[in-house]
Amino acid sequence: MATPGAGPLLEVRGISKRFGAHAALADVTVTLVAGEVHAVAGENGAGKSTLMAILSGGLRPDAGELLWEGRAVVLGDVRSAQALGISMVHQEPQLVGSLSVAENVGLGRLPVHGGPLRLVDRGRLRDEARRALALVRADLPPERRVETLGVAERQLVAIARALHFGARLIILDEPTSSLSMAETESLFLTLRALRERGTATFYISHRLEELRALADRVTVLRDGRVVTTVPLAQTSNDALILAMSGRELATVDAARDERPAGEVLLEVRGVGRRGRLHDVSLEVRAGEIVGLAGLVGAGRSRLLRTVFGADRADAGEVRVRAADGSWRRVGTLRDAVAAGVGLVPEDRRALGLVPVASVADNIGLVTPPGTRRFGLLRRGRLREFAARAVETLRIKARSLDAPVRTLSGGNQQKCVLGRWVGPDARVLLLDEPTRGVDVGAKAEIHRHLRELARRGLAILIASSELPELLALCDRIAVMRQGRLVSELPRAQATAPEVLRLATGTR
Amino acid sequence: MSEAAAVAMPAEARATWWQRVGPLLGLALLCVVLAIASPHFLTLDNLLNVLRQSAINAVMALGQLVVIITAGIDLSIGSIMGLTIVLLALMMRGGTPSFLACVLAVLAGVAIGLLNGLLLTRLKLPHPFISTLGTMNIARGAALLLASGVPISGLPAGFREVVAGSAFGIPSPVIVAGALYVVGHLFLTRTVWGRDLYAIGGNREAARLCGIPVDRRLNLAYALSGGAAGLAAVVMAARMNSGFPLAGSGAELDAIAAVIVGGASFFGGVGTAGGTLIGALIIGFLRNGLNLLDVSAYWQMIVIGAVIVAAVCIDVLRQRVGREA
Repeated sequence: MATPGAGPLLEVRGISKRFGAHAALADVTVTLVAGEVHAVAGENGAGKSTLMAILSGGLRPDAGELLWEGRAVVLGDVRSAQALGISMVHQEPQLVGSLSVAENVGLGRLPVHGGPLRLVDRGRLRDEARRALALVRADLPPERRVETLGVAERQLVAIARALHFGARLIILDEPTSSLSMAETESLFLTLRALRERGTATFYISHRLEELRALADRVTVLRDGRVVTTVPLAQTSNDALILAMSGRELATVDAARDERPAGEVLLEVRGVGRRGRLHDVSLEVRAGEIVGLAGLVGAGRSRLLRTVFGADRADAGEVRVRAADGSWRRVGTLRDAVAAGVGLVPEDRRALGLVPVASVADNIGLVTPPGTRRFGLLRRGRLREFAARAVETLRIKARSLDAPVRTLSGGNQQKCVLGRWVGPDARVLLLDEPTRGVDVGAKAEIHRHLRELARRGLAILIASSELPELLALCDRIAVMRQGRLVSELPRAQATAPEVLRLATGTR
Repeated sequence: MSEAAAVAMPAEARATWWQRVGPLLGLALLCVVLAIASPHFLTLDNLLNVLRQSAINAVMALGQLVVIITAGIDLSIGSIMGLTIVLLALMMRGGTPSFLACVLAVLAGVAIGLLNGLLLTRLKLPHPFISTLGTMNIARGAALLLASGVPISGLPAGFREVVAGSAFGIPSPVIVAGALYVVGHLFLTRTVWGRDLYAIGGNREAARLCGIPVDRRLNLAYALSGGAAGLAAVVMAARMNSGFPLAGSGAELDAIAAVIVGGASFFGGVGTAGGTLIGALIIGFLRNGLNLLDVSAYWQMIVIGAVIVAAVCIDVLRQRVGREA
C-alpha cells in the first residue's frame, strides 16, 4: 500500500460522456483525498450513475482524464479499476447466492495450493475472508451461503470483497435504500471505521440527513454537470436542494391550459402491498393529469402496476367509473383492461412492445372492442383501429406492417400509447413515458397527453423528471418509501418543495 | 406485408420476404437437384411416397410450431405418440369402435399436452425444456408398461384401409396432414388465440400487460401440440398396423428440425404453418433423395444435421439484416 497523505487520491478532470445525442456528463471535475467520504448527490438522471460507472471501469469517458495518485490512468474495465484499488458496491450487491460468504469474498482470486491441480486452499480462503469481514465489522460465518443473507449483510460481504481486493476507494450506490434504520446506522459505523483506515468513499444518495451524518464533502450534479462541491458543514439543506433542482420556482409551461376537471374516474383507496406500498389513496378526475413524483424506489411504478392489476394488492381497493356512471372494481389486469384502463409501462422494450411484430399488431394487441367475433380476429377492424392511432398520434412508420423495432424510440412509445387511446379509454397510467425519447418526440407526447385529458381521460403519470411533471400536471402526488406523503396542487408544486417531500427533509 | 415488399423492398421487408420465401426456394432448389441427379425422383409414385412419409412428421411439426412460436419447446411429442399409439391399439383390441378410439387417442394426446402446459404455468417450472423432458420419460415409460414392452398387433382391417389407404389417388395421411395444415394456418393467422401466441413468444411480459391471459394460452399451445402427436399416432398405427410402444422415438427432433428449417425462430414470435410444411417436406425430400442416390444412412444424418445448422444460420443472418434496418 502506498503511503497516504500528500496529494489527492483521485482526480477527475473534465470528464464528458455522451449517449447518442444526450450528454450524460459534461466536463466533470472532482477530487478525492484518502480517508474522505465524498457524497455525490443529484436528481434522477443527473449523471451520478454514469460518473460512478466511469470511475469503476464500467464505462469509458469520451473526454477528460483520471489521475490516480497524480498519475494519469485509463480504466479499461472493471478488473483494471479493481487492480488499481477502486471497487464499486451496487445497490443490489452482485454476489453469487449459491456460494459461501468466503467464496464470494475471494471469487476471482481464490487462494490455491501449489501443484498442478491448483486446488482451492479452503483454509486460507476462510482466514482471508474472516480478516476482510472483520474490517467491515461483520460477524458472519464464512461458510454460510450468501443467498441466506439479508441485503445489509450482503452489502457488507460486497464491501469486504472490495477490501480483500485491496480497494482504497469504494463507491457505494444508494446503499441504504433498502436498509432499516438500525442497519443503516451499523453500515455508517463500518464506513467511519474504514475512513479511519484511510479508505476513501464515494457515497451516492439522495438522503440529505445521511450525507450530513456521514460525508465530509458533497458534490452536486445536475444535467451532467457539477453544480458545486462544498464541505457539508458549510451548506444548508435548502441550498443543496436548490443546487440539485436548479429551480427556485416552478417553470410554468405557457402551453398548459385550463381543463375543467370532471367527475372522478379513478379511485384508489388504501391500496397496499406488503413491504412495497402502504395505504395509498388517490383520486383522478376526468380531464385531469396527476403526476407521481418520488425518488427511485419510492414505489411509483409499483403503484401504477398495482392500480392496473399487473401486481396484486394485499389491501385496499381500486375502482373505475364506467361510461354509464356506475363504479367497477378493478382487481385483476383483465378487469382493468375491460374497464378502459391502460398502462404505458416503464420499459417499453422489455414490457411494452413485441419487437418482431408489426405496428398494427402491436397497437392491436389489446384486441379492442369490436375486433373479435367468436375468437376470430376481424383483421380489417383491427387495422382501422391501428390506423386511427397512427393518425391521431402521428406515428411515423413506413407502413402499418413495418416491424415495430424499426421505429424510433418516440414512435415506438406512441405505439404503446396508441393501444390505450381508443374510444373506450377511461384511465391512462403512464410510467416514465418519455424516457429515452428525443426532445421533439417528448414535446409531442406531452401535447398528445394534454389532448387526451381534454377528451376526458383521467391520466396518472409517474416521472423522474420533475420539470416534466411540473409542466404537465394539474396536481402532483409525492411518494416516499411506498407511501403517498403529500399532494400538491399546481400552484404550490415547485421543484424544491417536491424534492423536499420526496427526500423527507424539512 | 406483400404491399411493403412490392414497393421498394426496404431492408425490413427484405428480411420478411426472405423469411417467407427462403424455405420455399430451398425446397425448389432441392427438387431440381434431385430431379437431375436421379431419374426416379420425378415420378408420381415417388412423389406421393415422399408425401406419405412426410405426413406424420408434418403433423407433429405443426404442433411443435405452435409451441415454438410461444418461445417454448415440446420434447415430449415423440413419447406422446408412443403412449397414444399403445392406448389406441389397446382400445381397438378391446373392441372400441375405430373412430371413437381414434378420437380418444387424440384427446389423450391433448390431455398429456395440457399436463405439460400446467407444469409450466401452474407449477412454474422454469423452462418447458424441463417439464417436457419429464413428461417425455413418463409417457414413454407408461407406454412400455401398458404394452408390456411389445407391439400390440391386430388392428381392425377397416381402420387400416381408411387411414393408411388413399382417396382419389391421394394417400389418406397426406389428406389428413393437408387438412390439418389448413386449419392450423387459419388458427394461427385468423384467431385471437393464434395472434396471442405470437405475442407471447415475441414478448411475454408485454402480452401480459395487454391483458392477454398468458397462462391459458400457453396451456392451449401445449395441449394442441399433444393433440397433434395423438393424431400422428393414429396415422402411424394404421401404417405400422400395430401399437408399438417405441413409436415416435426421436420424432420430436425431426419435428423441431422441420419447424426451424421452415423459418420459425427459436426465440419465439416468428413462424408460419406454410413454412413448417415446407420444412417437413425439405427433410422428407432430402431423405428420399439421398436414399435414391444410395447415400448411406450415416451420411444422411450428417447431411440433415448440416441443413438444420444452415437453416439456423440463415435465421441469424436474417435477424441481423432486420436489426440494421
